[in-house]
Amino acid sequence: MKNVRNFCIIAHIDHGKSTLADRLIQACDGVGAREFRDQVLDDMELERERGITIKSNAISLAYPAKDGQTYRLNLIDTPGHVDFSHEVRRSLMACDGAIIIVDATQGVEAQTVANLYLAMEHDLELLPVVNKIDLPAADVDRVLEEIDQDLGLDPFSALAVSAKNGVGIDRVLEGIVEHLPPPSGDPEAPLKALVFDARYDVYRGVVLSCRICDGSLAAGDRVRFMHAGTEYEVHEVGYSGLRREKTDRLPTGAVGYVITGIKTIRDVGIGDTLTRCRRPAEAPLPGYQPARPVVFSSIYPMSSDEYPALSEAIDKLALNDAALVYQKDASAALGFGYRCGFLGLLHLDVVQERLRREFDLSLVLSAPSVLYRVRTNDGALHEVDNPGLWPDPGTIHGVEEPWIRASILVPEKYMGAAIELCRQHRAASMTTTFLARGRLEVAVEMPLAEVLFDFYDRLKSVTRGYGSFDYEERDYRAGDIVKVDILVHHEKVDALAFLAHRDKARARALHYCEQLAESIPRHQFRIPIQGAIGGSIISRATINAFRKDVTAKCYGGDVSRKRKLLEKQKKGKERMKLVGSVEIPQDAFVSVLRTDRA
Amino acid sequence: MRAVSCAPAVGSAAEPAECAGLYVHIPFCSAVCPYCDFAVQTGSAAQRAALVSLLRAESAQWGTWERPFDTVYFGGGTPSLLDAGQLDQMLAAVRSGLPVRFDARLFLEANPEDVTPERIGEWRSLGVSFLSLGVQSFHDRELRALGRRHDGRGARRAVEACLEGGFDTVSVDLMFGLPDQDLAAWSENLDIVLELGPDHVSCYQLTIHEGTAYGRRRARGRLAELPESDQADFFAYTHARLADGGRAAYEVSNFARTARHRSRHNLKYWRHVPYLGLGPSAHSFDGARRWWNHRALGDYAKRITRGERAIEAGESLDGEALALEALMLGLRTVEGIDLAGYRLRYGIDLPGLNRRLIATLVEEGLVRCDSSALSPTRSGLAVADGLAARFRLA
Repeated sequence: MKNVRNFCIIAHIDHGKSTLADRLIQACDGVGAREFRDQVLDDMELERERGITIKSNAISLAYPAKDGQTYRLNLIDTPGHVDFSHEVRRSLMACDGAIIIVDATQGVEAQTVANLYLAMEHDLELLPVVNKIDLPAADVDRVLEEIDQDLGLDPFSALAVSAKNGVGIDRVLEGIVEHLPPPSGDPEAPLKALVFDARYDVYRGVVLSCRICDGSLAAGDRVRFMHAGTEYEVHEVGYSGLRREKTDRLPTGAVGYVITGIKTIRDVGIGDTLTRCRRPAEAPLPGYQPARPVVFSSIYPMSSDEYPALSEAIDKLALNDAALVYQKDASAALGFGYRCGFLGLLHLDVVQERLRREFDLSLVLSAPSVLYRVRTNDGALHEVDNPGLWPDPGTIHGVEEPWIRASILVPEKYMGAAIELCRQHRAASMTTTFLARGRLEVAVEMPLAEVLFDFYDRLKSVTRGYGSFDYEERDYRAGDIVKVDILVHHEKVDALAFLAHRDKARARALHYCEQLAESIPRHQFRIPIQGAIGGSIISRATINAFRKDVTAKCYGGDVSRKRKLLEKQKKGKERMKLVGSVEIPQDAFVSVLRTDRA
Repeated sequence: MRAVSCAPAVGSAAEPAECAGLYVHIPFCSAVCPYCDFAVQTGSAAQRAALVSLLRAESAQWGTWERPFDTVYFGGGTPSLLDAGQLDQMLAAVRSGLPVRFDARLFLEANPEDVTPERIGEWRSLGVSFLSLGVQSFHDRELRALGRRHDGRGARRAVEACLEGGFDTVSVDLMFGLPDQDLAAWSENLDIVLELGPDHVSCYQLTIHEGTAYGRRRARGRLAELPESDQADFFAYTHARLADGGRAAYEVSNFARTARHRSRHNLKYWRHVPYLGLGPSAHSFDGARRWWNHRALGDYAKRITRGERAIEAGESLDGEALALEALMLGLRTVEGIDLAGYRLRYGIDLPGLNRRLIATLVEEGLVRCDSSALSPTRSGLAVADGLAARFRLA
């Protein structure tokens, strides 16, 4: 046990986490040259492209240290984004220490701080690493000062490296051995193993990633998920190098894989505790929380004949994404689709991008919504994320919406802009803390719904790209939430209805109306487009009728050409969505809903 | 000369079948106008002379055509470029090969600069009853911009001379939506034509076609069609002014004093009645098929002289395509669609299939509908292109 180190790397996005991981793996020769791809841990195309890690993964490295002993280093990868804080927590629970990376050119950012708090919550020993010292803009002294003042860590323990050029990697490896503690745990106690990840393997079924906290686990054991209560037989255990290294037994403190023949990832509660059926543990490990979606949106195929393909794609995607919840949905305007729940906006983006890219689907997504708690006059409490299921306003007693605590780090000169932006997004109880070197943290509470749309982009824009942002869910608070209907030619378009705070409803409805007016082609009649709360109109735009649409000449030679044009027009109409007598091209939905997010 | 009569058509015992129309395309102009996309060329004297024999040969190829013709239309191009002898020979040629009725009406397109008292006399003795004058405008500046070879004064004189020439119907073609033409300038043209008093007027909005000089100017951003709202204003004004002046519209761009003065030939296109086209680029329709001749005079001539038909391509129309065409064409006319006739001919109960739509269109003020006919209003005519696409035919 004393020769084992379980650790993770935490960092703000783009500070070089994956690159450092690659160098550690290469240094321990965990990966042959042929197998090595840059950033081996990010094995999904999209993760690679966006430079973010979505699914956690673990890799086991053998490191011959300078003290002459060989150590088993278990590097547990963690998602690098706030949406996945839930997954981050699980991964952190499997660790005893963490490397915290700070970019030598960027310094401490919002996620660095958020991750630090998370790591401290889990009592992890921290090893600060200053990365990218090779860049001309690197300012190591300044960053060390920030590590001291903003993170409260010992700057003298910090290691300066260039992961890209492989500079200082040996010192990081030694630092892990020297600085980070070995796992603790009782080898004699009944088995307690934390399930911190699961992947679907087409040949083996679900492969669990586990940390053995107490006792040990061997092939042939019969195990029980303590929260779920389900039982399985263990077929195989081992360590995850790049390939699986099968072993007989995972001892206390080990991080490895477990195969039990589970068919679907939905049967696995990530964060659940495994124990042996014979001599089980008394209580599971603390801190289990099932994944809970916070952002909701309906996904429709652009053309209804793609619905079977969408169904298949979502099912496949969900095999490896236990956090994605979905159920069938039908819209009068957009046909069949799925109502989906996501961990956050990034999760939503990742899912829709994967559906587009890996499954080649064209999609329309309804406006994202949070989960509201609606108390009706009869005293019943309803959780509503779908505007279509919003109760009649006359029956609503009160509505609560989810709030977050956001942390925004900005250079001092953008403080005013950042605070103003927060104010526009219904922020409450703002506090600012001055950090080192002219930077400050704005800690602010605001409704989650306020960051669903343009908040992050606008923050980037008003701070010229220097602002960073992180959040965690807080609580539910009363809010004056209304359902806004969008009416085209006096008919409600269900797919465009949205839920919003009363103060924000009008501006957003107007935006919808104007976008629709731009993207719906003119008809032979005037088309009013209205936003309405109940019976009262809060915004409107108008598409004027065609008054002149006829070719001057139609004689013998013109008839065929004109008829073919008409036939094309009639075909085109079949592809449009008919709302009342108005034909709405699919593009119109896409453009409205896309710009809504942008 | 073949003996002809308009016998009742099979399957519609109630009504005698309408006679077909014969169109003869004269592809020559003294110069090609910058907006024109018709198959025209200046053509040499020898080519013009050769066309006569080509048309004679082509007429002879259609000996199988059964439906008699009660209109013969010389269009172009500029048929008035041909001399009286050439026109006479052409007429004789088509009469010898085709079932042209003795009393068929003869239509001739003419340019104002070709109108002289002698020519009028020749056309009269040829039997021309409907003379269509390509005036386009009475304003010198507009005429220059259109590349026309006459001026405003010449146009007036030509109209007056033709009106005195004893034709059944004189028609004046005008164009609106010209570059830099405002509504006031256009209304002057209408005032002038009403004052002159021809029984038939055609008013075409300028359409810029690709492949013409205007098309190239538009591509360079130096020319544009009127904005839609202006087009609508010009259109509505034109229809109202001419109706006030006793020339009510009977089609999108055509106006006549009485039903008798309407273009019997052109009505055949809009009523989906068969027509045969001779000459380069001419289109034909026999009630179920449409075909068209080679556009280039050389290609046309080569095939005819080889004894082949000059058809470039054609299409067979199924029931739905025919029904759609009939609907689209009918909605261009003020008379609209004769519902009983439509049901008889295409087997489609138009009001039955489109009850809600028709109610909506009536409410929108675009059509009128009673038990016998579905017809566009003036606003409906202005948007006729999209109207047909809204109907269900199956």
